[in-house]
Amino acid sequence: MPGPATLHGHADRPPVLEARASHREDSLDTSVTLDRFLAGVERRAFRIAQMALHDRDDALDVVQGAMFRLARSYGGHPSEEWPALFFRILYNGIRDAQRRRSVRSRIFGLLPGKRGGDEDDGDPLERIAGGGPEPDRQLMGDEAMQRLESALAELPARQQQAFVLRCLQGMDVAETASAMNCSEGSVKTHYFRALQVLREKLHEVW
Amino acid sequence: MNDRRDHAHDEALERRARELFDSSVDALDAQTRSSLSRARRAAVAEHESRRRSAWQWWVPAAVAASVALVAVLVWRSPVDTPPALVQSGPGDTVDALELVVAGDDLDLVSEELAFYEWLDVVAPEEMAGQGSTT
Repeated sequence: MPGPATLHGHADRPPVLEARASHREDSLDTSVTLDRFLAGVERRAFRIAQMALHDRDDALDVVQGAMFRLARSYGGHPSEEWPALFFRILYNGIRDAQRRRSVRSRIFGLLPGKRGGDEDDGDPLERIAGGGPEPDRQLMGDEAMQRLESALAELPARQQQAFVLRCLQGMDVAETASAMNCSEGSVKTHYFRALQVLREKLHEVW
Repeated sequence: MNDRRDHAHDEALERRARELFDSSVDALDAQTRSSLSRARRAAVAEHESRRRSAWQWWVPAAVAASVALVAVLVWRSPVDTPPALVQSGPGDTVDALELVVAGDDLDLVSEELAFYEWLDVVAPEEMAGQGSTT
């Protein structure tokens, strides 16, 4: 017959079982917190990856990989650290996807009758995104968003990251610096330069 | 003047960019949302399974280590204890301890503080006597 339930468990439960039950409750709490965090960032992360990669499936793969990596390697870290860690992992995934794409297009470029691909226009590490707006965006008819995406695509990778994380994702300078693995001063510099370029490109059309 | 105008324009640009981005996030299709939810649930399940397996590995390891530690302490304690007592003082200490722990004197020890005073006086004298006879 089970003993009386207390606020934190059963009064007559052996200490080992009590500790194990407590651990399960902690684990459950962490899982709930992790689920809430991921639910809050998944769509925005997907759009960020989609803007950078111009491909829905690649963007989904990158976001899924980032979620798994965060859960597996950093799920035990304090939840306050998750945003910076998650977006750092996400951008690493984007960079890896662009590398793979770059290698693939080089290989196809060597084959007779195949073209190298439009996005192979330089070092993928220097340029997060390349190419024009994808068909899905055109169908949505959102010209302003397409212009923003095009303008962002022309920015160097670090400036683009700084603008996306600071402005679109709403992270503060310290979080952005942690996500970009650089100093806060660098974030400010990249963000300022990104704003300068976007101001030039967009002020006529917005 | 230009700086102020640029700053105002930057704020408007930031606000507009945020609005557009938020709208594009809200406009995601159901299939993409569903795929993201599935990916999230799989990631959380992975987190739970890893935590559970880590716990299941640590408990037997901790129990085994505790048992081993207790076994070592029990095994070593009879050997270690007597030398520690002998080393702690002169030979009268052992005699005095025997008097204290002898079953007959337990009541006396517990009731009579005077016994301890007596022991303090007697023990050195006995030691001196033993020294003179030898």
